[in-house]
Amino acid sequence: MSIDTHSELDAHGAHDGGHHEPPEVVDGRQRMGVWLFIGGDMIGLGALLFTYLYLRGVNSGGHWMSMWGYTGHPYSYYYNILDVKGGSIPNPKLIHVGTLSAGLNWLVTVLTVVSAGIIWAAERGLRATKNAKSYSTLAAASTVVTVVAIVFTVIQLRHIPQIFSAHNDSLTMAYTAYDSAMMAIVGSTLIHLIVLAFLGLGLTIRSARGAINGTKWYQARLVRFFWVWVAVASVIISAVTTTINTIH
Amino acid sequence: MTTTLEQAKTAAIPQGGGLHRRLNMATAMIGGIVFASLFWYLAHHFLDATSRTYSDEVAGSLTIGWIVGFWLGIGAFVAPLRWLIGRDNTRADDLYLAGQGQGTSRYWKFTTDHKVVGVQYIIMTMVLLGAGGILAMAIRTELIVPGNHFVNQQVYNGFIAVHGMLMILALIVAVAGPWGNFVVPIMCGARDMAFPRLNALSLWTLVGAAGLLLTTLAVGSLTMGWVVLEPIADQAGVGMDFFAMAIIVFTVSTTVAGVNTICTILTMRTKGMTLARLPIFVWGAIIAAALGLYAFPYFSLVEAQTLMDRTFSTSFFVANAGGTGWLQANLFWLMGHPEVYVILLPAVAALFEIAAVMSRKPVFSYRSAVAGMTGLAGLSILVWAHHMFTTGWAPTLGGPFMLTTELISIPTGLFFLVLIGTLWRGNIWMKLPTIWMFGFIANFIIAGVTGIYLSDIPLDDQLHGTMFVTAHFHYVFVGSVLFGAVSALAFWYPKVTGRFLNEFMGRISFWLTFIGVQVTFLAMFASGLRGMPRRYSSYAFIFEHTNLMTTIGAYIIMAGMLVLLGAVITSWNKGEPAGPNPWHANSLEWMVPTPVPLENFEVLPVITEDPYNYGEELVRS
Repeated sequence: MSIDTHSELDAHGAHDGGHHEPPEVVDGRQRMGVWLFIGGDMIGLGALLFTYLYLRGVNSGGHWMSMWGYTGHPYSYYYNILDVKGGSIPNPKLIHVGTLSAGLNWLVTVLTVVSAGIIWAAERGLRATKNAKSYSTLAAASTVVTVVAIVFTVIQLRHIPQIFSAHNDSLTMAYTAYDSAMMAIVGSTLIHLIVLAFLGLGLTIRSARGAINGTKWYQARLVRFFWVWVAVASVIISAVTTTINTIH
Repeated sequence: MTTTLEQAKTAAIPQGGGLHRRLNMATAMIGGIVFASLFWYLAHHFLDATSRTYSDEVAGSLTIGWIVGFWLGIGAFVAPLRWLIGRDNTRADDLYLAGQGQGTSRYWKFTTDHKVVGVQYIIMTMVLLGAGGILAMAIRTELIVPGNHFVNQQVYNGFIAVHGMLMILALIVAVAGPWGNFVVPIMCGARDMAFPRLNALSLWTLVGAAGLLLTTLAVGSLTMGWVVLEPIADQAGVGMDFFAMAIIVFTVSTTVAGVNTICTILTMRTKGMTLARLPIFVWGAIIAAALGLYAFPYFSLVEAQTLMDRTFSTSFFVANAGGTGWLQANLFWLMGHPEVYVILLPAVAALFEIAAVMSRKPVFSYRSAVAGMTGLAGLSILVWAHHMFTTGWAPTLGGPFMLTTELISIPTGLFFLVLIGTLWRGNIWMKLPTIWMFGFIANFIIAGVTGIYLSDIPLDDQLHGTMFVTAHFHYVFVGSVLFGAVSALAFWYPKVTGRFLNEFMGRISFWLTFIGVQVTFLAMFASGLRGMPRRYSSYAFIFEHTNLMTTIGAYIIMAGMLVLLGAVITSWNKGEPAGPNPWHANSLEWMVPTPVPLENFEVLPVITEDPYNYGEELVRS
């Protein structure tokens, strides 16, 4: 390989290394990194939806979804009743379940989209007006909205019903295939929202301390990429799981 | 001649580093154990002990505690927390993290210098291969005669599962880990990887995952093979929880490493280093990284689902609540076949590189080599169901999957064409890297041809689940990838240490391993063709002789590997001095001094031609 080691084109001396490079250089590199992570996340979302649609398609033993289930008590409640009272079924908690609440599903999605919108608008404002203080305020607002979405996601998780199912020659509580797939999807949403809340908090603090400002905004943009992706993924998830669920 | 290890002591230790100054592998282990104990205690006392899944919930909590504590103890959370509060690293912090002036102690820390991470990967690979190899010997000892009781059947099952997974993890990182880190950034003309802290994170996350995986043997009850067959895995003991969590953590490591590799190659190439001038090994590294990025989310998800079935009573794989084992098979093999090429491609690309240097010729049909690797990666995501021909899943798709699988012969054939074309009429220098490369070529032919048999449905119906399959993929992984990995080790070892790998011991190791592979796996093919099933701890007397041969061959391989280990250790400080460019190569890693300085280049080079223009120079002297 023929090389010219005395080139004047070299932007970085040996004592500046790769460790403190111009922001635009770091920005380009980190932008690609974020897009690659988002690419990996897209595969993950695809795998989750594949699971959901595959289990629905196979519908093993007709158990994709149960129209009846039990909720409101911890697992041990039912387990003890079965064991102690010889297998009687706890009638008072029998409720009609079917699909999970579409309203709650879409509420989380709307909150995620709103938080992404706020963070995007905040970044545009920062780049236009160079006002880091208002950016910090909006990032905080976006974080609060995300925390609210987290609360509703936890509520979603807690209300996934169980059915009685045979397991190793005994009756036990289990989630149907639909509820299992939804638990994985909602759990994944929860993890993503927690990451967003962390990033939002970071943007709030960093912009308040001047680490993100009118000239140093590339991290705000990187976070926005991921935030918008999570919002888009949330819309896809809600659209699929609320329109393709029951089997007729 | 000093080694990389010795030179680092001459520079002063920078002032920065903060909390990192107190953290190392010992604190990571302590953190892991403390948090695992804490999480176990909390789970034990606060979870519902009457629950059917109680023991799995406790085990799952313990594994989470281990990895959280390990990350805390090594310092993985320092940077995110500093980012959160707006206190970014100073230049002194970065230099401290890069290991400046810290001698050998930097190899046991969260060090960001890509060369240190490369050496850490070498050590990690050897540890994983060693542990997996010991288990292989135990398995073969059990099978030396029918009805042997060297270990009981439950322990044997655990050995099968952990041996398989340890070896897979080891081979995933065997070439891409050490050399993707040590030489790829230098080959590109970069001062470090794109994300040095993520680089260290990926390495130490792998260490944490390996800790969990090795622990599974002590916990036991692994009945499901390395492919984590469902619904058996739902019924396995708590060792399965450790196993699944280890894989999930491992996929975090590979994802982070893959993103880092791709970003480094695409965004940090020096001026003039166009894609057409990239050393061919760099192409192998980026294609394998991209394929890993596609494949490993499936791995992560399927293991997470297994854990959820076991701890939360979900029913992904439980048929009487709507689940199905086919889901596991699909998700696993969506990952499983691309993963074979994540393992293979870096080794093949390293051999292209070595063939060019050792025969003093350009890589034959460079573009075909790149096209072959890209084509193989593309096809590999379309073949997963050939692992499920006999399961009854979607029989009508058998034909298309048979076709896509057989199409893989085309890019694989290109590999042979490129390798042999590069060597053809070259002035071949028969040194250690070349010898192991020839071993690869011989073994890879057998691996490839037997793979074609298995892609044909009528034959697969007969051979599926037999030792024939085991022999086939061992020719791929041991006969091919391991030989490629050792060739790469012998080739770049002088750049790491400043010394040659001991030639005599390396040749003894080669012949022992090469002969051992033929004895072991040809006999295993014979067992398989006669109908011996895989994963059994005993067998009928008709398989007695071929199994005895296989076990003897396995011991010979182990002897070869021990000799190689001896060569690596003794050559590190006492090997023949090699100088900065012992192979008279033209790519950038050979243009920098040995030991390589902290940021690789005094001034970033500008590239004006490809790395394979050797002119009339002859290497023999």
